[in-house]
Amino acid sequence: MDYLSLIPVPDTIPAPATLFLVLDILLFAIHILLINMILGSGLITIFTGMKKGEDNLQDRLHGPAVNKIPTLFAIGINMGIAPLLFIQVIYGHLFYTSSVIMALYWIMVIPFLIIAYYGAYIHSRKYDISRLLSKSALWIMVLMVLYIGFMLVNNNTLMVQPQKWTAYFNNRAGTVLNLEDPSLIPRYLHFVTASVAVGGIFLAFLWDRRQKNNVAGAGQKVKSSLEIFAWASIVQILIGCWFLISLPADIMKKFMGGYLPSTFLLVIAVLSVLGAIFTALKGKLRPVIYMISITLLAMIINRQLLRGFYLEGIFNPDSLKLAPQYGVMTLFFFILIIGLAAVGYMLKISMKKEEGRA
Amino acid sequence: MNYPIWELTGIDGGSLIALIAVLHVFISHLAVGGGLFLWLTDRKGFRDKNPLIHDYVKKYTWFFLLLTMVFGGVTGVGIWFIIALVSPAATSVLIHNFVFGWAIEWVFFIGEIVALLIYHYKFSSLTRRVRLQIAFFYFLFAWLSLVIIDGIVSFMLTPGTWIATHNFWDGFINPTYFPSLFFRTFMCMMIAGMFGYVTTVFLKESDFRHTMMKYNSKWLLYPLPGLILSGIWYFYSVPAVTRMTAFVQNPQTAFFIFLLLAGTAALFVMGIIGILRTPLPVQRILTVVVILIGLIWMGGFEYTREIARRPWIIDQYMYSTSILKDQIPDINRTGLLHAAKWTDVKTITGENRLRAGKELFNIQCLSCHSLNGFNNNIHDRLAPYSYLGILALLTGQGKILSYMPPFAGTDAEKEALAAYLTTAVMNKKIVSDLPKSPSNLPEEEIPAFDIEKDDYLLLVWNDLGMHCISDSDQWFVILPPANNLEAQLIKRGLVPELVSEKVTLDYEVEPGFENPAAHIDFWKYAESNFGARLKKNIGLFGNGLKGSFKYDSELNSFIAQGIPVAPYKDDGTYNPYPTFTVRAFDAEGKELVRTRVVAPVSTEMGCLNCHEGGWRVDNMSGIDDTTAKNLLDVHDRLNGTDLMKNALDGRPRLCQSCHADPALSAKGRDDVLNLSAAMHGWHANYLPFNDARACTKCHPANTKGNTRCFRGIHDALGLTCTDCHGTMQQHALSLLRNEEAKPAAKGLMSSLDPAPVDTVSEINPRMPWVNEPDCLNCHIGFQKPEPGYTGFNTWNRDFNELYRIRTDDSRTRCEACHSSTHALYPAKNPFSRDRDNIQPLQYIKLPYPIGSNLNCKVCHLEDMEGAEAMHHTNMERMFRNTSAVQ
Repeated sequence: MDYLSLIPVPDTIPAPATLFLVLDILLFAIHILLINMILGSGLITIFTGMKKGEDNLQDRLHGPAVNKIPTLFAIGINMGIAPLLFIQVIYGHLFYTSSVIMALYWIMVIPFLIIAYYGAYIHSRKYDISRLLSKSALWIMVLMVLYIGFMLVNNNTLMVQPQKWTAYFNNRAGTVLNLEDPSLIPRYLHFVTASVAVGGIFLAFLWDRRQKNNVAGAGQKVKSSLEIFAWASIVQILIGCWFLISLPADIMKKFMGGYLPSTFLLVIAVLSVLGAIFTALKGKLRPVIYMISITLLAMIINRQLLRGFYLEGIFNPDSLKLAPQYGVMTLFFFILIIGLAAVGYMLKISMKKEEGRA
Repeated sequence: MNYPIWELTGIDGGSLIALIAVLHVFISHLAVGGGLFLWLTDRKGFRDKNPLIHDYVKKYTWFFLLLTMVFGGVTGVGIWFIIALVSPAATSVLIHNFVFGWAIEWVFFIGEIVALLIYHYKFSSLTRRVRLQIAFFYFLFAWLSLVIIDGIVSFMLTPGTWIATHNFWDGFINPTYFPSLFFRTFMCMMIAGMFGYVTTVFLKESDFRHTMMKYNSKWLLYPLPGLILSGIWYFYSVPAVTRMTAFVQNPQTAFFIFLLLAGTAALFVMGIIGILRTPLPVQRILTVVVILIGLIWMGGFEYTREIARRPWIIDQYMYSTSILKDQIPDINRTGLLHAAKWTDVKTITGENRLRAGKELFNIQCLSCHSLNGFNNNIHDRLAPYSYLGILALLTGQGKILSYMPPFAGTDAEKEALAAYLTTAVMNKKIVSDLPKSPSNLPEEEIPAFDIEKDDYLLLVWNDLGMHCISDSDQWFVILPPANNLEAQLIKRGLVPELVSEKVTLDYEVEPGFENPAAHIDFWKYAESNFGARLKKNIGLFGNGLKGSFKYDSELNSFIAQGIPVAPYKDDGTYNPYPTFTVRAFDAEGKELVRTRVVAPVSTEMGCLNCHEGGWRVDNMSGIDDTTAKNLLDVHDRLNGTDLMKNALDGRPRLCQSCHADPALSAKGRDDVLNLSAAMHGWHANYLPFNDARACTKCHPANTKGNTRCFRGIHDALGLTCTDCHGTMQQHALSLLRNEEAKPAAKGLMSSLDPAPVDTVSEINPRMPWVNEPDCLNCHIGFQKPEPGYTGFNTWNRDFNELYRIRTDDSRTRCEACHSSTHALYPAKNPFSRDRDNIQPLQYIKLPYPIGSNLNCKVCHLEDMEGAEAMHHTNMERMFRNTSAVQ
C-alpha cells in the first residue's frame, strides 16, 4: 500500500505556519523544562532515598522539591497545552493519525496523568505522616510520568513516519507502538536523563536560595545537586550519541555537517553542555543555568528540525493553505499581554509584605 | 474517512467522550461557580467579621483546588484527547478554525491557575484587600474561559452563518452562544452551592454548620429562575428543524430531557431541605444526594445537547461520521471506499464483500454505535431486521428520521454493508426470495353449460383480484378475512336480461375451507379488533362460508359481503384461491344455473422480508409472532404508541382504528395519515427498490412467492405493477399529496423522488381505493394501447367510476365479463392453470373474456353486429392476445 495515500488532507491554517512553530518551540521549552524538573526531582528522590526515622525532611537533598512538585505539575500541564495546540494546527493531520493508531495507549495518558498529579500531592502532603504512602505515591507518580513520556515519544516518532502507519491494517484496536524504531529507546532515554540533569539543577537552585538564607549545609547540597547534573549530563552525551547514530543515516548526516543549521545547533548544544558540566563540577550554579538554557533551546529547535527531516518529501508546513484570521490573532496577543500582566500583578501584590494580614 | 478509525467495540466513541466530558463539565462548571463562591463568601467573612467563615473558605479552597485544578484541568485535556481519537476530522476543524480562541482560553487558564495557587498557598498571609482581589481575579479568569469555550461548544450545535462565511466570529457568536452562556453561568453557581455542602458537613460546630447549609442552599436556589428562563431562551434559539429532529423524532432524547428537568426539580427540593434545620446525618445524606443529582442533571443537559446535534458533529456541515455534507453527492457517485483514505478495500468483489462491509461499518457506524457494547448497540438495533430490512434501513437512513446521517456510498457499498451487518454482526443468513411452489391442484372441473339449451348465465366475481388477510389477530389486524363476491344473472335471449327479481343466489365454499376459525384467531380477538362479538366462521357482515347473496340495486348485482374465508384448508395445505360454488334458483327453488368462482385470499404479506421472523403456517404463509411483535415494537418506538403492551394484555388493535381506510370504510383519526398513505409513504423512503420489486416485497405478487396473485392477461403481456401504479415513490407521493394537510405527510414526502416526472407537483393526488388508474388511460377508446402509455397519474374521479364498480350501457358490470383486477381473463392461476378462468371456459369454452371471439350468442342467442354500441367498441373481433396466453 502506498503510505503517502494514507496522509489525511489538512485543514487551512489561520496564520502563517512559522508563527505556530515559533510559539510551539518557545512554549514547549518551558513545558519540557517543568516536566524535567518534576521527573528529575522524583527520580533523584527515589535514588537518594527518602528520609528515614527521625531525619528532617529539610536535611534531605530532595527536601525542598517535595512541596514544589504539585505546583510544577499545575504549571507544567498548563504549559503543555499551548504547544500541543499549536502543533496540531501545523501537524494535526499527522498527529491525529498516529494518535489513533496507538489510541488505547494514548488515551491512558489522561488517567495516568491524573494519578501522577494526585501522587505528587500525596507524596508532598503525607511526607511527614506516612512514609509508606508518600513513597508509594512518589513511585506511582514517577512511573506514570515515565509512561506518559514514553507514549509521547512513540506518538512523536510515529507521527513523522507515515510509512509505519500501514501497521494499522493489521491492528486497529489502537495498540500499535513504534517499538521497532531503533531511535525510540535512545530518544526516550534522552528525555529521562535530561530530566535527571535538570532535576539536579532545580535542586541546586532551591538549595542555592537556602544558602542565601544561611541554611546550614545548603552549600554542600548545591554542590551535590550540581554533581548529579554533571554526571547525568555525561551519560546524556553518550545517550545522545546513541540517539544520533540510531537515526536513519541520511537524517543523521544532517546533524553531522550535512545541513549547516542543525549541525551548528548540535555543536552549540554539545559545547554549552560540556561547559555546563565543567562549571557544575566546580559548583557554580548560575553559569550552568545559562549554558544549559542554551543547550535546551538549541536541542528543542533541533527537535523541530529533526521532525522536518523525517517529513521531507512527505509534508511541508509551507504547503498548508492560509485562511487568515489576523484580527483574532491580534486579539490573542493582546489578551496574552493583558493576561501575563495580570499574572505579574497578582504575583506582585501577593509577594508584597504588608501590614495587617487577614 | 480522512483518518483511521479506532476500532472500539465494547463502547461507542460517543459514550467514551460522554464519560470523560460529563465528569469534566461538572467539575469545570464548579471551577467557574466556585470562583464566585470563594470571592463572595470570603468577602462575607470579612463583612461579618466571622473567622469561622474564613476557615470554611480555606477548607473549601483546598478541596476545590484538588478537584478543579487537578481533576478538572486534566479531564479537560482528556476531552481534547478523546475527541481527537474518536472524531479527528471534527477536532481538526475546531482546532484550525478556533485555534486563537483556544489559545485565548489557555491564557485565561494560566491566570486561573496562578490566582488559585496564590489564593490557596497564601491564604493566611495576604491582606484582606489583596486576598479578595486574587479571589476576584480567579473568578474572572475562570468565567472568561467559559466565555471562550462556550462559543466553540455552542458553535457545533448552531454554527449559524459560519457555514457560509467560515468567519471566526460568525461561528463563535452563534445563535445559541448567549443563551448557553447564561444557562451555564447559572449552572456554575448552583454547582458551587452543591459543593459548598461538602465542606459544610465536615464542620463540627452545629449552629455554624446550619448557617452554612442555609447559605449554600441559597446558591442552589437563587440562580434557578435565571436557569429556567435562560433554558427556555436556549431551547428556542435552536433552529426549529433541529428541535424537530432532536426533540420529536429522536426517541433517545426524552430520557435525557427527563434527567435535566427532573434533576432541576429535585435540586429545588434539595435546596429547600437544605434551608431547614436538620440533624447532621440528614445533612450528609442530602450532600451526597445533591452531588449525585447534580452529576446526573449535568449529564442530562450535556447528553441532550449532544443528541440534539445529531446527525451532525457540526450542524449542517459535518456528519457524526466525519463526512462533510458537501462530499455526499461525490461519494454517492464514486463510492465511499474510493474516497476514504484508510481502507484496504477499494473495489468490491465477490470475495472481499464482507471485508468491504466492515470497512464501511467502521467509517459510517462505529463513531456512534458499539458492537455488543455499552451504548447504541448495533446488535440490538438490527435484531428485528433481516438482510433486506437492514438494506432498507440504510436506504432510508436520514430521510425521515433525520437524527441519523444518510448512508454515503454506492448501491454496491450499501449492499456490502448490509451483508456484513447481517452475516458477520448479526450472524444471520441472507435469505433471498426462495421459490415457493404452489400446490399442484388437479385440472379444474368446469361446470356444465349447454349453449343450445341453457337459459341463464351466472357471472360471479370477487371484487378484488389481489386480496390479502392478516392472520396476526393476536397482535394487530390490517386486513380482516372478508371477501366480497358479486354476481349478475343473465337471462339469455335475443335481448338478454339482467335478472334481479324472483330469484335467489347462494354460495358455498369448496370442501376443506368451511372452518377458518380452526386456522386463524380472527374470532378470538374480534371484539378487541372490531368491537364486535362474532360467531365462529361468521364474518363482519353476518355472512358465513355458505349463504345467500343479496341484491344491491345500486350495483345492479347480487352481493355476498365479508365472507370470512381463509387460505388454510383443513388438510393442512395452503391455497390462497379457494373456490365457491354459486347457484341461482327461481322462486320455486329450482336451480337455474350454477358456476364456480375463486375468492382470492392470501396471507403472503411480506412483512417478514424486512422485519424478521418466519411464516406463521407451515413455513408457507402468514405473519408469525416474531414479525408481528417487531412491527408493533417499531411502531411504538417511532410513534409513541403502546400497541405492544395492549396486545400483550390481550387487546390488539385494528390499524384502521387510527388510520383511515376507504377499503374498510374506516374514518380513522384526523391527525393521522390514512393507511395507504402511511404505509406506502413510510416504506417508499426505505425500500431499496423503486420498481415492482418494491411492491412484491409486501403484496402477494412475487413471481417466486406462494400466491403469485398478479395472474391476469396483463401479467402475460409483461406488464408490471409500476405500469399502472407508478414507481414505489410516485405511488407513495400520489397518496401523500392527498394528505398534504397532515403534518406527517410533509416529512414523508421530503425525500421521495417523483421521477420519471420532474416535480412532485406534477403527481396528482389520489384517495386510496377511490381514485385508481383507469383502464382507459391506456386503452383509449377500448383500443390496443399505443407504446409509451402509462396507467399512472390519471385517476378516475370518484368511486363509481372504478373498474370494479363500472358497467357498460347494458348495466353489465365490467368485472362480470373480464373478471377482477389483477386476474383479468385469460388468467393463469399458479395452483391450477384455469382456476381463474372457470366461467369463460364454462360459457364460451375459451379462457377469454365472456362473449369475446365474437361469442355474442352466449347471451344473445345469435351472432351480433355493432355490439360496441351496447358494451364497448372494439369487441366485435377475435381475441387479440392469444399468443401471450399460450
